[in-house]
Amino acid sequence: MEGLWVVLLALLTAGYFALAGFDYGVGLLFRFVGRDEAERGRVLRSMTPFFLGNEVWLVAAAGVLFGAFPGLEGELLSAQRVPFVVVLVGLVAFTAAVQLRSHPWWDVPLVGGALTVAVGWGLLLGSVLGGPRALWGIGVPVLFLLHGAVFLTWRLRGPARERATRIARALVLPAVAFVAAAVAFGGVVREPGYGWIGAAVAVALLVGTWFALRSGAHRLAFLCTATTCVLPVLTVFGAQSVVTAGVMAHAPTLRALSWVALAVLPLVLLFQWATWWMSRAAR
Amino acid sequence: MDALGLARLQFAVTTSFHFLFVLLTLGLVTLVAIMQTRGAVTGNPVHARMTRFWGRLYVVNYALGIATGIVMEFQFGLNWSGLSHYAGDVFGAPLAVETLVAFFLESTFLGLWIFGWDRLGRWVHLALIWLVALTAYASALWIMVANAFLQHPVGHEERDGVLRLVDFPALLTNPLFTTAVWHVVLAALTVGGVFVTGVSAYHFIKRTTEVDFFRRSLRLGVVTTAVVTPLLVGAGFAQFPALMAWQPTKTADAGVGGAVGLGFMIQIGMVLLLVSWLTVPLLLRDLVVRMRFPLYLMVIGIPLPFIAAIGGWLYRELGRQPWLVYGLLRTEDAMSDVSRDGMLFSFIAFTAVFAVLAVADWVLIARLARRGPVEHAEPVSPLVPAL
Repeated sequence: MEGLWVVLLALLTAGYFALAGFDYGVGLLFRFVGRDEAERGRVLRSMTPFFLGNEVWLVAAAGVLFGAFPGLEGELLSAQRVPFVVVLVGLVAFTAAVQLRSHPWWDVPLVGGALTVAVGWGLLLGSVLGGPRALWGIGVPVLFLLHGAVFLTWRLRGPARERATRIARALVLPAVAFVAAAVAFGGVVREPGYGWIGAAVAVALLVGTWFALRSGAHRLAFLCTATTCVLPVLTVFGAQSVVTAGVMAHAPTLRALSWVALAVLPLVLLFQWATWWMSRAAR
Repeated sequence: MDALGLARLQFAVTTSFHFLFVLLTLGLVTLVAIMQTRGAVTGNPVHARMTRFWGRLYVVNYALGIATGIVMEFQFGLNWSGLSHYAGDVFGAPLAVETLVAFFLESTFLGLWIFGWDRLGRWVHLALIWLVALTAYASALWIMVANAFLQHPVGHEERDGVLRLVDFPALLTNPLFTTAVWHVVLAALTVGGVFVTGVSAYHFIKRTTEVDFFRRSLRLGVVTTAVVTPLLVGAGFAQFPALMAWQPTKTADAGVGGAVGLGFMIQIGMVLLLVSWLTVPLLLRDLVVRMRFPLYLMVIGIPLPFIAAIGGWLYRELGRQPWLVYGLLRTEDAMSDVSRDGMLFSFIAFTAVFAVLAVADWVLIARLARRGPVEHAEPVSPLVPAL
């Protein structure tokens, strides 16, 4: 029972970073990938069909954190209060601006929000790991930027795609450098094995991204960067053994929640997959 | 003000903003679903156009509902870690169900509804808006389950200094849940009815050429309000026996703020009940449009149900003090270990962002509402290119 909930929390968190990661990347890049207002609108609209579905993985993860891991929720959020507040403020600005952008004025909260969220998650992970926060505050946005650029390479056509591809290629090396530096300057952790495995897989995926981009296998490149965005979170939380039985709710609560989770998750996966499938037909 | 006062104020501000958007979301999605159903059944294009116009306003309103909702979710852990430590096993359960069943599914369905416009079959697309509505109501239901537990904790036992869940169904039969949930749902429907009435009335004041479009909208709004308000008022007063039984000192504990909120809510409820029933006969032969002065009252009336809802909510929450979990956990004992400066920082940051974005959102809603049902309009936003 406990194992099921650890897997579920990891899955929801992974889903959030894999999906919302490219939202923030696109939010940071769309003004550069699109040269005029019409093109920028097109770039953003390549992301927005998935937007509500992407961001809501975080809400679900937070709900599971509260319901099934009440000890961790209080401990983690109070201990990392400032980075969480920063992330949330950025998230509110970004979420609202993407949905309401009726004028280029909205790009201030849109780009600012995306940057705040990306840097904020970096700082937060750096704090939990005990590594240099500045490194993580730069590194995580680099991963999101790469993920966003690969997404745009996959979804766009014409000159905008060329620009997105150039940006994606230029970002692969900095991303590898970040992973290497994160390992080299990492603090003392409880389970160092996680860090080594996570870093090795991340580097392999980034090399894979490079070759997939070169050979035009855009969907494969997207899967590589999506997984790369997930790795830091799972690695850091695993390395510090943040999730233990002591922080979890007791069996009756978990049992009651399990039925709900097992019923809902397949539905969400089915309907989100339907959105992707439909967008393929529409493109 | 000390850290505790700031933490409470931050919670009140966040919840109030969230509540304002959620009320209209719930009310409007129901009416949009009704419009779309009539369109699908009758095939009359005016219903499809109504669905599109009111659906746009609904989606733009939803944007801040989700944004403030995310902060609501995290705020418990940020500022009130004592609550999750002591009562997380019980209080967290309905909250987790809400995020999974309602929020998670609702956003997924809504994304598909927006994106599926003109792409999905008529009946599939219709089913989606009803699924959005259904999950939105499920959201309200589970939030009220969680809130009722704070008002009147049931279904738990205390072991080793923390609460454990022993009876999950008891949360759903909590007398302070079963009486309040109807009141909240009916309040949301009233907000939707009054909003649709008011916006339609505005277009008649401006002598719109879309007479059929706004006549149908106005009628739907007035009839909804007239049908719902008696039940709303009834469900409101029906709560007092349960409140007197379980929180006998509520009105005294609520203080001046709570009492004023309660008074405003009751008066506004009565006025809406009376006025909506007086308006129903005037719908005959468009008397209400020809008389003109009721139209102005309808526009002025738009904020009233919002004010009433905030008033009623203040009474419910202030009347719970000094308890966070009634009789078990004091509010002051539940606060996270945060300095006054830390609390001030988050309070100012969230309040400022909410205020700016809420005003921007309302301006956008007002502009779209004034523009009316234009065909081939520019995209409202990147999210709603189809609408």
